[in-house]
Amino acid sequence: MQGNTRRTGVMTDVHRRFLQLLMTHGVLEECDVKRLQKHCYKVHDCNATVEKLEDFINTINSVLESLYIEIKKGVTEDDGRPIYALVNLATTSVSKMASDFAENELDLFRKALELIIDSDTGFASSTNILNLVDQLKGKKMRKKEAEHVLQKFVQNKWLIEKEGEFTLHGRAILEMDQYIRETYPDAVKVCNICRSLLIQGQSCETCGIRMHLPCVAKYFQSSSEPHCPHCNDYWPHEVPEVFDPEKERETGMSRSNKRPSRSRQH
Amino acid sequence: MSQKPKSRGRPSSQVEREPGGGGEEAPSTSRGPGGAASQRRAQASPAPGPRSQKQLELKVAELVQFLLIKDQRKIPIRRTDILRHVVGDYKDVLPELLRRAAERLEYVFGYRLVELEPRSNTYILVNTLEPVEEDAEMRGDQGTPTTGLLMIVLGLIFMKGNSIKETEVWDFLRRLGVHPTKKHLIFGDPKKLITEDFVRQRYLDYRRIPHTDPVDYELQWGPRTNLETSKMKVLKFVAKIHHQDPKDWPAQYCEALADEEARARPQPAGPSPATAPAPTLSPVS
Repeated sequence: MQGNTRRTGVMTDVHRRFLQLLMTHGVLEECDVKRLQKHCYKVHDCNATVEKLEDFINTINSVLESLYIEIKKGVTEDDGRPIYALVNLATTSVSKMASDFAENELDLFRKALELIIDSDTGFASSTNILNLVDQLKGKKMRKKEAEHVLQKFVQNKWLIEKEGEFTLHGRAILEMDQYIRETYPDAVKVCNICRSLLIQGQSCETCGIRMHLPCVAKYFQSSSEPHCPHCNDYWPHEVPEVFDPEKERETGMSRSNKRPSRSRQH
Repeated sequence: MSQKPKSRGRPSSQVEREPGGGGEEAPSTSRGPGGAASQRRAQASPAPGPRSQKQLELKVAELVQFLLIKDQRKIPIRRTDILRHVVGDYKDVLPELLRRAAERLEYVFGYRLVELEPRSNTYILVNTLEPVEEDAEMRGDQGTPTTGLLMIVLGLIFMKGNSIKETEVWDFLRRLGVHPTKKHLIFGDPKKLITEDFVRQRYLDYRRIPHTDPVDYELQWGPRTNLETSKMKVLKFVAKIHHQDPKDWPAQYCEALADEEARARPQPAGPSPATAPAPTLSPVS
């Protein structure tokens, strides 16, 4: 969508099935996207050479352009795992959720979003969110119901829950980037390295600049003494490892165990 | 199905008269200047001047997104809601917008925009891609286990002569461990699923049989079923369950064959984007 005139690709049933299935997920990790692509080739055209994922997605994006939809690539904020989400560029993103959620549920999401954005850590505790149920627009909601609704947001990959606290899922960040910048211009945080929206990350204790964990990992990859890229003061946080898809394949299913604990983030 | 030969005009005057409800849950996909506040302007606005290609393109994009979002719930999309939530004061070019949205939906996504019944002013999206078994796996837990139950009910209706009493349906399903009043692990409330959800999605028609005591209802195929699947597909599904051949039921087989032939015949041309749709209701999962 960046204004460069891209040649419009040719859609085949392989692309269409891929798009349909991606749509039912909303967001997928790169390894699953590759699996999905392979599946679609198998169904429609076993003999065709599998297009490189990047080109394959570029083809789809070139025809999605006129519809103000895009398959956007991003990374998870905590461990830098690449994800792909189908995002909507023309309409307010909360409206996309409106077909799945009632008015009071949407308002609960907005309240949670606000707490997350305003927080220093990028997390809002469920207690703090649930304390706001009395102020919701629309039908009255009890706390028990609200808990259930929050779980629904997690299932639909709008929120992530860790130890009773909620943050935004990568899908929500990709989808709502613009909305969040426009709605909370004063509270919004930006990564000092990649300049994109930051919800959770590390921050310099001296000058206060913030960095995504994956950006921290890449930036300090080869330095034994990390210093703040802005004020050059000592960087007091643990530097996480760069995400490595190869290594990922070896460790296989252990992904839930290796999430960095939040205590060392700021 | 009775297809009235009269051509579909633009019943713009009927549009606002539809009974309320349902409208408030629809998302607003209109943004731009005015945003949500401009939604209700649709009715009264005077005929505006010509729009730029860019403006039309944006409207088509909004319409496509609206149709995709609404279709996820499988509830037929009413023309009223399209007008109210997307089209706004572009009402005069609605046929053009629908035509372009239908073209995009089919080329980009493989969905055909179809009017549910002639002159019903309700639309559904029909998948042009044949479902395959592995799709369900690719969808992970987002699959639709209820489709299996729906196929069983559709099969039952077809095998019993295209109409069946509700009591007979439950007699049959009880043998499969599905009871109308007992919560089911997968199907939740089976009574609600069959007599409300599938009915609202228009897979099934459900009506009271007159002069019955105690009151009984009958079930038939709804219009969506005819668009997404066919008698032959359902018969093959039934045969597969019984490990038999479709021809083992000669009456049903002949009927299904005649139905196939009728489908193959070219449809009378009309202004609706609906043309012979490909079956999509999957017998798998």
